[in-house]
Amino acid sequence: MTPDEPHDAVVVGSGAGGAMAAWVLTRAGASVLMLEAGRDYSPDESPMLNMAMDAPLRGVGTPDKRFGYYDATVDGGWDMPGEPYTMAEGSEFMWWRSRMLGGRTNHWARNSFRMGPYDFKPRTRDGLGVDWPVTYDDMAPWYDKTEKLVGVYGSNDGLENHPNSGPGVLHTPPKFRVWETFLKAGGDAINIPVVAARRAILTKQIDERSPCYWASACGRGCSIGAAFQTTTSLIPWAKATGKLTIATGAMVYEVMLDATGKATGVRYIDKATGSHKEAKGRVVVVAASTGETARILLNSKPNGRSEGLANSSGQVGRNLMDTVGSNISAYFPQLEGRPRYNEDGAMGLHAYIPFWDYKRIQNGEVDTPRGYHVEIGGSFGDPGMGVGSGLDGYGSSLRADVKRRYGSRIGFTQRGEMIPNANSYCSIDTETKDKFGIPVLKFNFAWSDHELKQVKHFQTSMKELIDKLGGTLVSEPDEPAKAISKGGEIIHEVGTCRMGSDARESVTNQFGKTWDVDNLYLTDGSVFASKAHKNPTITIMALAMRSADNIATRLRTGEL
Amino acid sequence: MPNSKASDLVMIDRRVTLKWLMGAMAAGQLAACGDGAKGVTWAEMEAIKAKGYGTDPDFNNTAAPWPLTMTQAELVAASSLADIILPADGDYPAPSKLGVPAFINEWVSAPYPDQHRDRVLIINGLAWLDQESRARSGAIFASADTAAQKALLDEIAYRDRVKPGLEKPAEFFSRFRSLTLGAYYTTPAGWTEIGYVGNQPGTGDYPGPTPEAAAHIRAVIEGMGLKYTAP
Repeated sequence: MTPDEPHDAVVVGSGAGGAMAAWVLTRAGASVLMLEAGRDYSPDESPMLNMAMDAPLRGVGTPDKRFGYYDATVDGGWDMPGEPYTMAEGSEFMWWRSRMLGGRTNHWARNSFRMGPYDFKPRTRDGLGVDWPVTYDDMAPWYDKTEKLVGVYGSNDGLENHPNSGPGVLHTPPKFRVWETFLKAGGDAINIPVVAARRAILTKQIDERSPCYWASACGRGCSIGAAFQTTTSLIPWAKATGKLTIATGAMVYEVMLDATGKATGVRYIDKATGSHKEAKGRVVVVAASTGETARILLNSKPNGRSEGLANSSGQVGRNLMDTVGSNISAYFPQLEGRPRYNEDGAMGLHAYIPFWDYKRIQNGEVDTPRGYHVEIGGSFGDPGMGVGSGLDGYGSSLRADVKRRYGSRIGFTQRGEMIPNANSYCSIDTETKDKFGIPVLKFNFAWSDHELKQVKHFQTSMKELIDKLGGTLVSEPDEPAKAISKGGEIIHEVGTCRMGSDARESVTNQFGKTWDVDNLYLTDGSVFASKAHKNPTITIMALAMRSADNIATRLRTGEL
Repeated sequence: MPNSKASDLVMIDRRVTLKWLMGAMAAGQLAACGDGAKGVTWAEMEAIKAKGYGTDPDFNNTAAPWPLTMTQAELVAASSLADIILPADGDYPAPSKLGVPAFINEWVSAPYPDQHRDRVLIINGLAWLDQESRARSGAIFASADTAAQKALLDEIAYRDRVKPGLEKPAEFFSRFRSLTLGAYYTTPAGWTEIGYVGNQPGTGDYPGPTPEAAAHIRAVIEGMGLKYTAP
């Protein structure tokens, strides 16, 4: 079919949420038109084995490519020419966009931690934020299906609020490397768990995708299909049904409604010609990213309704959350001069530190209500432009120091839960338009004391672990208010169209169906009711699969 | 590892560096382009306006697209300084033999904010180096004798004993050293020296630590009175 013909479903976005919806729907026999604002992309473009020395500036990040020259992201970033966003006075927010087929799934770290029972009912547990309209038990089978489809390595450790996967779901995780075994020894001694990480990376062949070959940074895009991205999986699978039509360079800016209040499709700008076009479908699925989805709804003003579409609750754009981030690094003299071997492995986490302090929180012994996990990085990697950091002097002693220090530094990265607050939201900036003439988003953002105290907990705990292992801090961490990441910097923004069980307080129901428009669904991070410390992508996909299943049923029964 | 671009760079750099060095020594050129006598002010420089590689670069042509901007005299000073920072050692060549000065030229000529900050520091720093060397020994840094070069560097190269008043040259040196080390240890010779053996695709399970590496960490962990868990 062509993009001009009416389809059963119009899906806006080709990332985790959009591609999952498109795959489920095409597999159920529905015709789907997928609209992607960026260009067509395949990781066959990825220079998987190029070294830093083959890239300009040894591949370091620049304003053109924030995560380095080889990062898979093309035409994206926090700052995009001609596509601005604004911030309220006193607010700082960084809005990442990824304008390419597959969106952010082409470069994500593949960290895939399931949310647990506490994470779906946070308000019940501590009175803060809101509960989700689903329980963990509702979601468990969808996590299993998603993980099985995607391919996730990890282990079932039976830890509190870190649920096991179903039998046979997980791929075997790669062995710990020396520095990870070292950290585990320290953690074991002070009851900080160091366990196998969970990542969307195959360690055995499934379908046409190869297992990890233990090289190549995943962020470059994985042409062998081992590291999950929609461009090597959901999108080609959906295409193979013969039911998927893709239009790239299609910048969607509003949802169209008919006189009865049903969505009829979307309007978009065809970037190649600059012309405005309409795409029509029986159901509209918006998965354009947390920011962009809110922007499309707020810019859709059916019958002149100034609050935007699907916004009778007033919650569209509100409850903007990102992951709490901060860092500590240390040198470990005990790791100096250790025997060399190939530590590339899966080029990311083999091990991590899941949150462990739930009991003390419940007993009121900890002053921060929500948890975090710690992502750890060390290894004998390509030394890179940072190899000389912390070294002194010159001459042959410097050569010896470089060798001695190599592989003895470990970085600890906090990834924590943010609680929604009234000061963090996005709205339309009526004064500013992008190069397409579309009004842009304006961000308000503020951390609360909860997040700052959580940073302190992280700093204190990691210093204890570092101390136990005889390490020395690279530098003393800043005070939490200075150490904490900027909003949007961790690129886990969620929550702008939260789901709920009450139409007065939420934008969608538990299936991502907007309360106000019966055939308008949202399947990206915008529907999150809370932002657990767990990286959002696997949950976006599990929710999108569940929502799309609901859509497919309703299409089949003629309800839509 | 097949890598035509990198080896070309090394070849060109080796040949050209030698030529520069000979020419510059004969002419006694200063990296300050003659105004060294007026003193180095560490002044801000005009931003480079060349185009970057863009948001969608062509991975089949990974050469930096921007013009190189360092003068011959600056490259001579940079080459000489890099080779003192990491002197050749047995099998491991000096940085000038591995294209490090050319890399520094690419770095300071790049049209990006971080590199611009480094450019101001490094171009001024190289001028300072030649000026200071000439004031002390009558020769530009590259042609001063080794003892004179080291005497000068000893005043700026150690963060806890920077000679008062030389904080800015010390900042330059520290940054130049970082760039030199980064450039050097991202080459095949650097990998061999440091022991990096990655970027080798394999089949089957990730093998994990070698028996030697595992035995070593086990001894370390148990020596600390902690419990070792085999990977």
